[in-house]
Amino acid sequence: MTAFITAAATIGEFRAGGTDLSERRRSGRSTGPLVDLTGLPGLAEITPTPDGGVRIGALVTVEQMARDLSGYPALAATAAALATPEIRAVATVGGNLLQHTRCTYYRNPAFSCVKSGGDGCPARTGVAHHGVADDRGPCVAPHPSSIGMALLTYDAVVEVSGGPARTVAALFGDGSDGTRDHQLGDREILTAIVLPPPLPGERGAYERATSRRFAEWPLVEAVARISVTEGRITTVRVGVGGVAPVPLRLVGVESLLLDGAPDGPLAAAAAAATDGLRPLPHTAYKLPLLRAVVLDVLHRALTGPDQDAAGAPRP
Amino acid sequence: MKVGAMKVEINGESREIDDDAETAVELIRDGLGLTGTKLVCGGGVCGACTVHLDGRPVASCLLPATALDGHALTTVEGLGSTPEHPFQRAMMAHDGLQCGFCTPGFVMAGSAFHDRWRAENPGARPDREQVTAALSGHLCRCGAYEGIIAALQGACAGEFDEPAGAPPRVEAAAKVTGSARYTVDVTVPGMLHGLIVRSQRAHARVDRVDLVAALAAPGVSAAVDLLGEDRTVRYHGQPIAAIAASTPATARAALAVVAVGYTDLPAALDVTGAEGAPVVYTDKAQRKAAPSSAEGPPPLPTWWDGNVRGPATISLRGRRAVRMLDAAAERADPGYLAATFRTAAQAHTALEPHATLADWRADGTLTLHASTQAVAHLRDAVAARWKLDARQVHVVAEHVGGGFGAKTAMTTDTVAAVELSRAAGAPVRVVLDRAEELIDGGSRPGTRTELRMLTDGDRLTALALDTYGDGGVSIGSQVAALGAFGYGRGPRRLRDFDVVTNIAPSCPFRGPGGAPFAWAVEQGVDELAHRRGEDPIALRRRWDGNRKRHALYDTASALPRWRNRGPAASGTGRFRRGVGVAAANWFYFLDGDTRVALTVRGGRLLARCAVQDMGTGSRTVIATAVGEQFAGVDVDVEIGNSDGPHGPMSGGSRTTPSIAPAAVAAARLLREQLRQRVGGTAAGADGVRTASGVRAWPEVLTTCEGALVTGERGRDRGGFLVPFLSMDHMRIGRGMSGSVQVTEVEVDTLLGMTRVLRVWSGLAVGRIWVPRLARNQAEGSVIQGVGFALYEQRLHDPNTGEILTSNLEDYRIPGIGDTPEIDVHFYEQGWEHVPGGGIGLGEVATIAVAASVGNAVHHATGWRPTELPIRPDRVLEGLAR
Ligand SMILES: Cc1cc2nc3c(=O)[nH]c(=O)nc-3n(C[C@H](O)[C@H](O)[C@H](O)COP(=O)(O)OP(=O)(O)OC[C@H]3O[C@@H](n4cnc5c(N)ncnc54)[C@H](O)[C@@H]3O)c2cc1C
Ligand code: SF4
Ligand code: FES
Ligand code: FES
Repeated sequence: MTAFITAAATIGEFRAGGTDLSERRRSGRSTGPLVDLTGLPGLAEITPTPDGGVRIGALVTVEQMARDLSGYPALAATAAALATPEIRAVATVGGNLLQHTRCTYYRNPAFSCVKSGGDGCPARTGVAHHGVADDRGPCVAPHPSSIGMALLTYDAVVEVSGGPARTVAALFGDGSDGTRDHQLGDREILTAIVLPPPLPGERGAYERATSRRFAEWPLVEAVARISVTEGRITTVRVGVGGVAPVPLRLVGVESLLLDGAPDGPLAAAAAAATDGLRPLPHTAYKLPLLRAVVLDVLHRALTGPDQDAAGAPRP
Repeated sequence: MKVGAMKVEINGESREIDDDAETAVELIRDGLGLTGTKLVCGGGVCGACTVHLDGRPVASCLLPATALDGHALTTVEGLGSTPEHPFQRAMMAHDGLQCGFCTPGFVMAGSAFHDRWRAENPGARPDREQVTAALSGHLCRCGAYEGIIAALQGACAGEFDEPAGAPPRVEAAAKVTGSARYTVDVTVPGMLHGLIVRSQRAHARVDRVDLVAALAAPGVSAAVDLLGEDRTVRYHGQPIAAIAASTPATARAALAVVAVGYTDLPAALDVTGAEGAPVVYTDKAQRKAAPSSAEGPPPLPTWWDGNVRGPATISLRGRRAVRMLDAAAERADPGYLAATFRTAAQAHTALEPHATLADWRADGTLTLHASTQAVAHLRDAVAARWKLDARQVHVVAEHVGGGFGAKTAMTTDTVAAVELSRAAGAPVRVVLDRAEELIDGGSRPGTRTELRMLTDGDRLTALALDTYGDGGVSIGSQVAALGAFGYGRGPRRLRDFDVVTNIAPSCPFRGPGGAPFAWAVEQGVDELAHRRGEDPIALRRRWDGNRKRHALYDTASALPRWRNRGPAASGTGRFRRGVGVAAANWFYFLDGDTRVALTVRGGRLLARCAVQDMGTGSRTVIATAVGEQFAGVDVDVEIGNSDGPHGPMSGGSRTTPSIAPAAVAAARLLREQLRQRVGGTAAGADGVRTASGVRAWPEVLTTCEGALVTGERGRDRGGFLVPFLSMDHMRIGRGMSGSVQVTEVEVDTLLGMTRVLRVWSGLAVGRIWVPRLARNQAEGSVIQGVGFALYEQRLHDPNTGEILTSNLEDYRIPGIGDTPEIDVHFYEQGWEHVPGGGIGLGEVATIAVAASVGNAVHHATGWRPTELPIRPDRVLEGLAR
């Protein structure tokens, strides 16, 4: 515990794997002292909890998550699909949730905006092709965390040293605060994510829309978890990213599917993915794309990945 | 941040390290001098900086230096000074490299994958998906991916456990072990680090450049002004001044205190060329000084209207062409087509950035280490600019990490390094960072082409092209003009315009103008064939008089994938496949003044030439050309130094047809000289015939130490196209090279992603000197074409003119997972008038690729893309129509 208190009391920005921070230091978006979290004890393990769930330490790497969470296929698939093998080897789950936006303007020292401590948003009147499909506040950069999106579909609890535990949704807020990428306090240290036990017979799927095959940030991404009991969909969870300043869970889509037959019409449910979204002038294309990605993950979560082979007819 | 003393095991040796580097890559390269590890993107995207941390590959550019404490670090040097790892051997044997700048990173990732794979799957061969996923954190701008994939599969299957024979590329061992030194790796004692102050405005008068505070900062030795006489900046990022300091950190600190006073001028930031827009160049002198993106002859003089320059017109009965097209449109002729095609600006972004180390000595000599495609030309340009005798200037470029056209002229890094070295009286190195590289380090101009064409079926009856080049402040877009060189001699009007803006300039890029030309015209041809219900290859064969290309059409139309392709848009599923074809031709340039010197040294041969190797294989071509004349003899090649006999610039595909004949000429001369020395009757490839039998060359050489000859490139049979014109040593030869690409794509109609699955690339460039290297270059050309077709797009902020795609995350080049299976076919006849019988291929092989992708997408979906890149959003929008 004292290690945490010492770390929290040391002035400086926390550093875990450093894959986000190092880039921001190069671009001048992080200056000042750093406090390494890597030595903190007990944070690099995935441990079972008494109720059959798992506790994922904040310093667990993305690679570990992809490898060791086979009971959580949607989460493991999300982890396996992001960034590159070299990044996944060192990037931590804590850093992934708390990383800063990838907005081009934010990462370019020639610009200033609400998120970098200035005023306004040059992306709004500039190039916002990668911007949000739901305008929720002053910042129109989509939230970068794929893992945050996946965790939203679990009733995950975020444990914090120096503050109360909270839900993943609370960690991110509603997207109206354009000045920050998460709502963790400056001196709070994220210590672990606690997941409830997997659902019985749970299946999951993850997909992202990109131009290139690998290592590209998604235009939109989606994850689905589904369990089917006695011919009915008994649980369904859908998360999406690239859409809003925070990762989103699509309760509307879920409710259309719940209790239905697994071979029922998915397209109608997927169509609800964009209900109520307010795109930017340059991101209207994301609406059909989002419906398509959601349809894809639902389909794959229900039928298994083999149905995705080239040329297979879609529902 | 002060790291403090750390204990690190480095390449097997325990060390205590005290260094204040923030990231591991700085510690490794600058602190430890282990320069095999490269820094390219600094953002975890390209993998060039990959090292092993406790045996696992990680990106050292994002790894905090402190993360090394208590761990084992292995760099490429740690794998051994000779290529001992099976994956290194496999990379050499499969030629999984060109310029080699990305190679150490691939070697580190691939060797780790190999070791793990063999432990877990002994005897098994990983599939393409597995190896590309494992290497997905790496980028190779040369596009050597096919060789890399084959190498990793072969190594994992145990095919390279023993050392293989000599690799196809002579310098491969240096590149896979990380010992090859590039300009960014060269340091000399007392070297200072130079940085460039760049404009923060798109258009402004610079009233004041205050370097006093910077000069007073600790460690700063020199500061120079780089702005031209008119004291105006015309794009965001334009160089204004440069400073030199003892370390990169002190230079960065000093850069921050340079004060520049601007008076803003209204900026032209969109390419509409609209009347009333602020004017970029207001007088003749300014216009004359505008940079050019044209290759070869300078752009023709033409007139200006505001920001619109042109048209530069080439007409073959142009008025008649327009009348015919108007009439055809009027009567709705089914053989008439009008369409607009757009291409995006494509950045060269060679993985080694522009870099120069200049050492201007008190004795008046100036030595440059430069990442250049033209050591000899750069020497002359530097001598002219600083009024030196060319003999006082020495340009060295031992290895060059890619260029693609952006390193042919003298660039800012060189100007700044020379000026700073003169001012400081010390050697100064200037290395552009990735953002600078992507801002004004080079790009192909964007274009808009208005295409109109008419056919009666048998031929192209009339053609009109108006192309508007979008090269920022630069001029010289030559796209429409290329319409003069193909598909018969029917009436045509070809007009090129430049629309200048206050955006960073373009420069020549691999087949300048060719790719946008093909994007428009080759899709137009395809569309007309489609409307006529005709095979697009058959239509081209009728229109196209080029015999060499006819041979390619024959082979292409016999390909099963072409014969079985079925009607357009016949698929119904989510994933639709289609096959498209496109053709191109290109000029044959050469450097007629090229000379190669050949000496007998230590029982071996040493060939010297002031040419450079940026990955295209100059060393290997010379070694091969000489070696063929001297059986059993080892040939050393010394290039990359302007002190050698004159050599060509590596641009305009002129290197091989210049150096290979010169090397052969030298070899023949030497054979003759040696024959005389030993009193033989005749000399052949095997040796000298004497009364007592044939004396083999290796034995003859031991008796002729020091013999020296110089071979000249000589003339082609029938001379050159423009006999008297030699522009900066460049000549235009007779004949045009040809290419035909047959490309298969798969379009995901749900998510809008287009994947290129297979490419057949037929090239008519005559005799191939080194087949594996030529294939590698042809494959790389396809991959750059795929990037142009699907991903690459330079973007700027519409309000400030700042380039936004200034990192390799936002500027997307093709990765290893985007590599199609590529089948290269060489048609080797038709160049018998050229000594050696072959010409260059780097440009012709890339030009038609994007058009073939466009035609394949149309064949797959029925939707014709007209704007590049073919992004997912455009695909979905197109399919929804
Ligand atoms: C090429 C590339 C592609 C990528 N693609 C994706 C993608 O598709 N999806 C995706 O989600 N990510 C992607 N990433 C981002 C990557 O996942 C993150 O950089 C990484 O997860 C950050 O983890 P880290 O441990 O390195 O964080 P760090 O860089 O160490 O820290 C990031 C931030 O989190 C804070 N922090 C870290 N840990 C804690 C803690 N325990 N308590 C409090 N604060 C903490 C730090 O102060 C810092 O502000 C990509 C990155 C690259 C380079
Ligand atoms: S989108 Fe957000 S991060 Fe990007 S410029 Fe606007 S406010 Fe800044
Ligand atoms: S330089 Fe480190 S990944 Fe590109
Ligand atoms: S060989 Fe890969 S970048 Fe040149």
